[in-house]
Amino acid sequence: MDASTTGPPTGAAPTPSVRRASLWERLLASDHLAGWAFTSPAMFLIAVFGIAPIVWSVILSFQRNNLLSGGTWIGLQNYQRLLHDPMFAHSVRLTILYTALFVPISIVLSLTVAVALNRKLWFIRLYRTAIFLPVVASTVAEAILFNWLLDPYFGIVNVVLVKLGLPAQSFFQNPSQALYCIVAMTVWGWLGFCVIIYLAALQGIPRELTEAAEIDGATRWRSFRRVQLPLLGPTTLFLVIYLSINALQLFDEIYVTTRGGPLGATTVVVYYLYEQAFQFFEAGYATAIAYVLFLGILLLTVVQLLLGRKFVHYRS
Amino acid sequence: MSRSRTTTVALASVLVLAFALVTVVAAGCGSSATSSSSSPAAAASLPSPGGGGSIVLWHGYTDVERTATDAFVARFNATHPGFTVKAVFAGSNDYALQKLMTALAAGKAPDISYQYGSSMANLATSPKIVDLGPLMQQSPNFNWDDFFPAERLAATVNGKVLGVPALVDNLALVYNKALFDKAGIPYPTKDWTWTDFRDAAKKLTDPANKQFGWAYVNDGSEDTVWRFLALLWQAGGDLLNADNTKAALDSPAGLKAMQLLHDMAVTDKSVYLDNGNGNYLNLFNSGKIAMLWTGPWDISSINAGVNYGVQILPGDVTHATIAGPDNYVVLNNGPQQVANAWDFIQWFCSPDVHLQYAIATGHLPIRKSETKLPAYKEYLKKYPADAVFVANLDNVTKARPNIVTYPKISAALGQAVQAVLLGRAQPQQALTAVSQQINAILASGQ
Amino acid sequence: MSASSSAVTGSRSAGPPWPDASSPGASPSGGPPDFAALEAEVAATRRRRPSGWHLFLAPVAAIMAFPFVWMIITSVSTLAETRRFPPQLPHAIQWHNFVDAWTMAPFDRWLLNTTIVATAAVLGNLVFCSLAGYALARFRFIGSGAAFLLILATLMVPFQVVMIPTLLIVRGLGLIDTLGALILPNLVTPFGIFLLRQFFKTLPVEIEDAARIDGASRLGTLVKVVLPQMKAPLATVAIMTLLWAWNDFLWPLIVIQSPNQMTLPLGLATFQGAHFTNWPVLMAGTLMSQLPMLVVFIIAQRWFVQSLSVSSGIKG
Repeated sequence: MDASTTGPPTGAAPTPSVRRASLWERLLASDHLAGWAFTSPAMFLIAVFGIAPIVWSVILSFQRNNLLSGGTWIGLQNYQRLLHDPMFAHSVRLTILYTALFVPISIVLSLTVAVALNRKLWFIRLYRTAIFLPVVASTVAEAILFNWLLDPYFGIVNVVLVKLGLPAQSFFQNPSQALYCIVAMTVWGWLGFCVIIYLAALQGIPRELTEAAEIDGATRWRSFRRVQLPLLGPTTLFLVIYLSINALQLFDEIYVTTRGGPLGATTVVVYYLYEQAFQFFEAGYATAIAYVLFLGILLLTVVQLLLGRKFVHYRS
Repeated sequence: MSRSRTTTVALASVLVLAFALVTVVAAGCGSSATSSSSSPAAAASLPSPGGGGSIVLWHGYTDVERTATDAFVARFNATHPGFTVKAVFAGSNDYALQKLMTALAAGKAPDISYQYGSSMANLATSPKIVDLGPLMQQSPNFNWDDFFPAERLAATVNGKVLGVPALVDNLALVYNKALFDKAGIPYPTKDWTWTDFRDAAKKLTDPANKQFGWAYVNDGSEDTVWRFLALLWQAGGDLLNADNTKAALDSPAGLKAMQLLHDMAVTDKSVYLDNGNGNYLNLFNSGKIAMLWTGPWDISSINAGVNYGVQILPGDVTHATIAGPDNYVVLNNGPQQVANAWDFIQWFCSPDVHLQYAIATGHLPIRKSETKLPAYKEYLKKYPADAVFVANLDNVTKARPNIVTYPKISAALGQAVQAVLLGRAQPQQALTAVSQQINAILASGQ
Repeated sequence: MSASSSAVTGSRSAGPPWPDASSPGASPSGGPPDFAALEAEVAATRRRRPSGWHLFLAPVAAIMAFPFVWMIITSVSTLAETRRFPPQLPHAIQWHNFVDAWTMAPFDRWLLNTTIVATAAVLGNLVFCSLAGYALARFRFIGSGAAFLLILATLMVPFQVVMIPTLLIVRGLGLIDTLGALILPNLVTPFGIFLLRQFFKTLPVEIEDAARIDGASRLGTLVKVVLPQMKAPLATVAIMTLLWAWNDFLWPLIVIQSPNQMTLPLGLATFQGAHFTNWPVLMAGTLMSQLPMLVVFIIAQRWFVQSLSVSSGIKG
């Protein structure tokens, strides 16, 4: 909306000096120009360093290319190959399973921790810093730690399990358990990030709203559910979308722990495409995989945004 | 509705803009990436080294190796004033291939790059890799036959020599003497058979103390595969047939090798399965693992308090072992650059210089003639364990196939070995399955 | 979960003085509360009594802090001590590892490079993401939906796929092996735009409308009226951008070729070889490199803390 040309309403008839703004003036003042003016620095940088490389890569997906000797055009063959590739289908299943576990667990856990941290407790600063630490610790340190904790023979987790009378597990060495261990490791790694964002959102919720609900006799849980949770809607939507996008592209943690194993139990899509490009010298095929993944993520994000438009209420 | 149409138009125009931008940029700088000829740099047309410029060497050396490399490069620069050599740490060697491929694709590659031997067959497809054969013919002092057979095999693809050995190693048996003494077992000898090895591992395993007789790297990668290949060759078997067209490991020898792994890991439970993060070495240092099949690179990481010994691998039909040579590849950035790079390589890999480098780093000698030099005694005194590794080079009679499809074959075989070690597949079943996979890979040709 | 159950049962927790069903001030039928009792309750909770939240937060914080603690222990151990498993405490504190990390390589140069890159990235993001996020949140302009989706789309392709074309573009701009190559692609991140857009939308629009009616420009409204309410999300964007720019490894690995242009993660990698890693020095170096970020986080915490004065207004 623009409040540019019309003056304050008066009782008298409009004076001749107030004329209808020209098209050019209206354009200059419009939201359209303002919108593009505000977004153009960002859009320019993203176009050059984000979109352009993606478009270039699309060309690669129509080639057989080992990145060393130039490519040969093969049209849609890579995509056709994908349809019949059992390893690809398997990696898609794994990725979906991982995402379906990681995102909800992260959101629920981090919201709980954020609410807990949003209080005046003893040591609260210490807790907050401690929870932020994994974000700061390197992936290498994280991997070493989890490899150690979950070592089948020497890891602390098994020591505790055995003491409790439960059988020792093989964790990263067990094809049925490895992916869940990765879920645990990544939930742990992302917790600090999610908590910070929820903390930022919580501090924007005015006290009066929650107090009003409490004075009306609601319990703390109900006031949380009725007042704070809906107000955290936009943040939750952000996290759901952002975490999903990242979960579907899981790679780093796999690379430093299981390397896609054991027996392919953690070969998620991006790890599979990395193997294709840099181990098997099939960069064209790898790019085709990336594009199918891209379309999948895009579809999911659009669905999430549409659902968000329906269920998330912004205060404005 | 016009809103969605304008959105489409906006989207389309952004894409077109981006495409245009990329095309312009790619046209401007893509030419150099593909303009080099695919024929090797003709030796006769190479200028003499000099020109005052500099060449860049990418390596992954750290710690002692890094200090030594920098020192030797400095010495070369001081004594060869025609041009400068810059040694650049390009990330751990595990990234070396990825970094070189990326650099080649972007058109800004170094002049020399350290690469794993297993990457050679695929790197060979790049027109920027220099065929060193003609250069070697022009330099009679180079003496290619002085290098160990294993290295020469690893550097040669389709008859062309595409790298100069940077490093050679092999797998030997490293054992903890204290644990052997405690269990009352005599130390491994040159004539140890698989039975001796298995028995010892069983006796050295103590579940109550969480002690294991042997450790095996079980991450499904080449680390998993090459130890199995040593077993396969010891049993007299082969991975592929003579012309690399069909799998040959589904044989009595292959079955024996797989069966041994199964017996030790699943039946005896005497094997610690390392998941690829190198923990086996820490455990060895802590006295939790009695025997390792490993190479010289791990020796320097053994703690001072551990009393260890080195012996050749136990054998079946033979005591074959496997070598993992790495190479310096030369990239074609122009005749003067190639000439300078070749000049440096000849110096760096000459017997006297390399022996000094080996003394500084503990690397094995890359040339047979190094073992005849007077300073070799000094080398052996400093690294007594390396005597076994050098002698073991004579047991390297076979090499992994240097073919373009080897990475896929290795991945399939790695999964098969992993399945057997984890008890998820029976030996024969795994062999049959992986044979079929390998034949399919070979048939598809890429 | 334990967090909500303590709230429901009304156990004594130090926190804002909400009267709940069992507190002295609430009446069972939900009628007007007894203010005297309420005031007593408020006074009581201000003394910060021990809370059940600690039972949840303390273990979580301990788990989160674990690898960091491991990093510290490793950094003061000798190399031989780190080569044992399970890990043990060092016999003596080896402070020299920190000195070694600083002197064995041009650590100060890396620190300088990383500071330059990270500061530029943070400033760029704060400015450009605010502009773009605000426009996407408030202005209705042609192509805004497409722009937003395009921005998000750049998050949906794994880096391994686009790194080569990005390298080509950077090379075309003549920026290979310069800090510019590290700064430019990171001046704007989709994360920043998306997060700020969500937070902008949670602000009530009436205040902005009032400012516009009073004649403020869009930019003026943004800077003078809106951004002051966005301290927490802006701090979040700043911290996350700082972290990512500081810790980025793969892109610098590809684009930087000379030691003088290396950033900290790349430089620290010189202590990490394929077969040999100098763990104590590496961890000491990593700790030193992460210290600035921890300091920033601890300082920035006050923007994440909900001001607990009962009369906190909308401006938070």
